[in-house]
Amino acid sequence: MSHKHLAGPRHAVLHNLPLLAAGLIVLLVTVMIAGVSVGAIGIPPDVVWSVIASHFFPGSVEVTWSTGRDSIVWEVRLPRVMLAAIVGASLAIVGAALQSVTRNQLADPHLLGISSGAALGAIVVLLHTGLFLGLATVPLFAFIGALATTIIVVGVANLANATNASRLVLTGVAISFVITSLGSLGIFLGDPRAAHTVIFWMLGGLGLAQWAQLPYPLLALAACGTYLLLNARNFNAMTLGDESATTLGIPAGRFRMIVFVVCALLTGAAVAFSGIISFVGLMIPHLVRLVVGGDYRRVLPLSALVGAIFLVVADTVARIIIPPQDIPIGIITGLAGGVFFVMLMRRRSNAG
Amino acid sequence: MRPASALLAPALLAATTASVLAFPVTVESCNRQVTFEAPPTRAVSNDVNLTEMMLALGLADSMAGYTGVSEWVKLDERLRESTGALPELSPDYPTKEVLLGADADFYFAGWNYGMRVGGEVTPDTLAAFGIKVYELTESCIHIMEKPKASMEDMYNDLLNLGRIFGVEERAEALIADYRQELADFIASLPTAQTAPKVFVYDSGEAKPFTAGRYAIPTALIEAAGGINIMDDVESSWLEVGWEPVIARNPDVVVIVNYGQVTAEEKITFMRENAAFKDIPAVVNDRFVVLDYVEATPGPRNIEAIKRLAAAFLPS
Repeated sequence: MSHKHLAGPRHAVLHNLPLLAAGLIVLLVTVMIAGVSVGAIGIPPDVVWSVIASHFFPGSVEVTWSTGRDSIVWEVRLPRVMLAAIVGASLAIVGAALQSVTRNQLADPHLLGISSGAALGAIVVLLHTGLFLGLATVPLFAFIGALATTIIVVGVANLANATNASRLVLTGVAISFVITSLGSLGIFLGDPRAAHTVIFWMLGGLGLAQWAQLPYPLLALAACGTYLLLNARNFNAMTLGDESATTLGIPAGRFRMIVFVVCALLTGAAVAFSGIISFVGLMIPHLVRLVVGGDYRRVLPLSALVGAIFLVVADTVARIIIPPQDIPIGIITGLAGGVFFVMLMRRRSNAG
Repeated sequence: MRPASALLAPALLAATTASVLAFPVTVESCNRQVTFEAPPTRAVSNDVNLTEMMLALGLADSMAGYTGVSEWVKLDERLRESTGALPELSPDYPTKEVLLGADADFYFAGWNYGMRVGGEVTPDTLAAFGIKVYELTESCIHIMEKPKASMEDMYNDLLNLGRIFGVEERAEALIADYRQELADFIASLPTAQTAPKVFVYDSGEAKPFTAGRYAIPTALIEAAGGINIMDDVESSWLEVGWEPVIARNPDVVVIVNYGQVTAEEKITFMRENAAFKDIPAVVNDRFVVLDYVEATPGPRNIEAIKRLAAAFLPS
């Protein structure tokens, strides 16, 4: 266990899941409040609070601000911060689950082709068909793309008898390459001047967050997250190997495929609204395991919370680092992820 | 002085009443109909050429600021004077927060001129905040079918802006001036010359970025008496290979000047590359430089056409 060197009260805290979760929830709420308070346009904190209060309790506060500022806090920043939390939690919990069932430390939501499928859906809409269903078009087709790719991967894995851990990863990677190439073809055949539209989508961004769209990723997180959390013990067994898991009564191959589909649904729902945000699913489970150990009953819920906190902070950084511009969030998470992995390797080399 | 001002007041009153009576006004913006109950008072325009269109119509007092200029285009001296106290709200495309922070009620932009398809700032996303959008006609090609680019696109935009801000007479006068200026200039040129073949070189060394059928340089070149060698390509701006360029033998090369690579560097690149040595434009050293703001729809197009026409004359 990674925290063997700790003893006494600190050790007890790290095993006290409710306490840790409560602490992280408090931290999450704090960073969300910070996220809503800062941005390209400077708005004093008391105005921010008054705007939020006036929406929750209409008529309680005297309106001294312009509708522009009201919209910034309530319609732009708040949905954005909520989406960051939902997507961060989704990607992190998917990363943790996939790393367990594939027994691969480098597994993340984007590895198995799901995100390439979503990107292909978005490319077709952005560069070729146009937004013929209005604002819902891109999320819908991104989700359909993710779903279709998942079906292809599951189908190929079953046909090729590749449902064991490493072969599933290979199948996912192979399909991902094919779909990515199709996506690149779509970009090439489209208007080159509009290619940067797709690049911005693929680098990830939470700028399109609206209240009306939030129920979808939230519902996906609630449903899929619940399934994953309820099966936390099974994830522990899966890390021991397929044979050990089977002797413990878990149908390893089938469980793996089910988890893969559940993760694909959750990833698809997240990516459909935020584009492809890298490193969250890869890095957060590692970080959590470093601190609390490998028990998935702790790793899964804590990854979700840490993922949410991380993405809210990353989004806030993206919005304030070169105001008034909004850096695509994938750049921030990629940089953070790279630095994190270098530090992780250094630590491993010191310990091992 | 008194008799003149006595006439002036009623005339002004009549003009103001006329423009007030014109509201509500509905204009066509790409594939949408947009209705204005009153002229916008806090307009934001994106990019140099669109901002110049607003300023040419004298709308600086109705503007809250402009965006998308200093990030990648150098601000021209003349524009700097006209903008005066107007702030640049964002060096690149604005975010929703920037527009809302300026309490904007109108956004004049285009597809890939301040808005991206499926992006954060589009007519649909801004409609929720009561910010009306008018789209640059040339850019409509990115979201719908559109006929070939022409100067009428620019005149159409000026007219629509005139209607939106209640200065339709001013817009019509401006357009009439432009038309007259162009007609006079074309008439002054020697007649009956074969139209020179022109290649628009925007950027790119391995593969050139050029203007196709739906981009405004095609219209400028035709108005100046030339033919764009790529005007059969059904696209706006696009990347091609060098082979079709060499095969089509352009007589004149138009360089679009902006960004880090200077026009001189682009000209030198074409002169020194052995593959281009037989192109008539290189052999006769016929290069014209257009600034970015002249090669995109806006008031500068008129001067651009004159410069092109002068360069197209046989030397």
